[in-house]
Amino acid sequence: MGLLTILKKLKHKEREMRLLMLGLDNAGKTTILKKFNGEDVSTISPTLGFNIKTLEHRGFKLNIWDVGGQKSLRSYWRNYFESTDGLVWVVDSADRLRLEDCRKELGALLLEERLAGATLLVFANKQDLPGALSKDAIREALTLDEIKTHHWCIVGCSAVTGENLLTGVDWLLDDIAARIFTAD
Amino acid sequence: MAICQVQFNDDTVKIPEKVLRRDQARLEELERRRNEKESQSVAEENVDYFTATFSAEKAAIEDLISSCANTDHEKATKMLEDATLKTQQLQKFLNDSVMFLTQYELRQAQASVQKLQGSVVERRAEVMPKKKFAFRSRTARTSQPSASMPVGDKDKTTYFVGNAAVHVRASAEQYGFSNVDSQVLIKRSEEIQQRDVLLSHLADCKVILYGSPNTVHIKNVRDCQILCGPVSSSVFVDECTGCTLVFACQQLRTHNTTATQVYLHVTSRAIIEDCHGVSFAPFNWTYQGMDNDFRVSGLDPKRNNWSQVDDFNWLASGTPSPNWTVIPESERISCWDAKEPSS
Repeated sequence: MGLLTILKKLKHKEREMRLLMLGLDNAGKTTILKKFNGEDVSTISPTLGFNIKTLEHRGFKLNIWDVGGQKSLRSYWRNYFESTDGLVWVVDSADRLRLEDCRKELGALLLEERLAGATLLVFANKQDLPGALSKDAIREALTLDEIKTHHWCIVGCSAVTGENLLTGVDWLLDDIAARIFTAD
Repeated sequence: MAICQVQFNDDTVKIPEKVLRRDQARLEELERRRNEKESQSVAEENVDYFTATFSAEKAAIEDLISSCANTDHEKATKMLEDATLKTQQLQKFLNDSVMFLTQYELRQAQASVQKLQGSVVERRAEVMPKKKFAFRSRTARTSQPSASMPVGDKDKTTYFVGNAAVHVRASAEQYGFSNVDSQVLIKRSEEIQQRDVLLSHLADCKVILYGSPNTVHIKNVRDCQILCGPVSSSVFVDECTGCTLVFACQQLRTHNTTATQVYLHVTSRAIIEDCHGVSFAPFNWTYQGMDNDFRVSGLDPKRNNWSQVDDFNWLASGTPSPNWTVIPESERISCWDAKEPSS
């Protein structure tokens, strides 16, 4: 732990952060990543493996890892845990039938020792759909209020329209920055 | 050489006053800086200060935890929240102080913080046993006699009542068809426009969806024929058996599905996972107004990757997946005969 803290201090100069984006398949992880990066979202295929993007935002260098959410890929998620500063959990707000799966998978992640220091941002995605559950309903279904081990926040968003993506990421950056970068 | 010497002697005689003045100024500057530094940071970057503050905070948190009794639930919750927050602050304080602490002190402090976190968690488990979260769409269905009716948007007001909120929301209030046996089910273009559609727990049905939905979920469907207009984003298929699915979409994700034929138009990619005996052919259904629905959906009618299916259980490149096949041309259905009942 001591070493990790010092390593984090060393990152200070570059102001670099590593964000890991996970969630069930079809949640919209890749779409969020591409939209945030200003790319075309109409040609996205289901992710077989992972995507990584490095981008500059508000003077921070963000390394964003988007790992496929198919059931057969979930056992590989752990390969991406190391030195994650922020975890972005993406939820398909219109997929009521799998909310319980979604809750369980998130619960398992939060027990991971290597994610213990990470800040959690939950994106209640697909708010543009008429049948989408509100962010409060998602918060209840995922029992987010019981999370005491991590800083967390839930933001309703739409990857297709781009609504609220910035709000969420900005909150995440602020929280991480307050934790790993000491004031100048 | 001699001149230099003289010069030197001269200087030593002449300059002392200047040097003295400079020395004085230097000392003053030094003093000023020292004061400044002391007033700002020294107090906080001192090991003694750290140890004192740390142990005081630690004791306070321990008190908070141990005084937290089972009797008053609300008060206990508040105190534990407090303890969690304070522990986090303590961790932050430790992180900020890491630069001037020795390895030993750091380790000790870190261990203390971890112990505190542990006892907060333990205490919470003691005082507030975890609420059981139940979420079963099956029980919701059986408790709803009206669930076998097609669920439309007019039912929106009925959800979100009392404790059953989560259950009800799982199956009700979603646009589509659920829990129907042996019927012909039709949705019209005007009402379907850009909505998210759910088809679940259907058996021996023929479902025709005209128009362009935003997204479609098909779950737990047996021996059905499902025809659907162009879907703007993804179609999600789970637990289907013995079905024929005909639609256009941007992405198709198929899970836990067996013995099913898919007549597909897909502009990006189709994938299967945990599937067997799934076969694909190009989308060949047409209906009146389909061109317009394609425009609404934003799908390119000329771009169809129906035969490029990724199997997440078969990542070996080179050898084709045994889990899916292409339907031979001679065996493809060409007439869908979407005859509608007059109702």
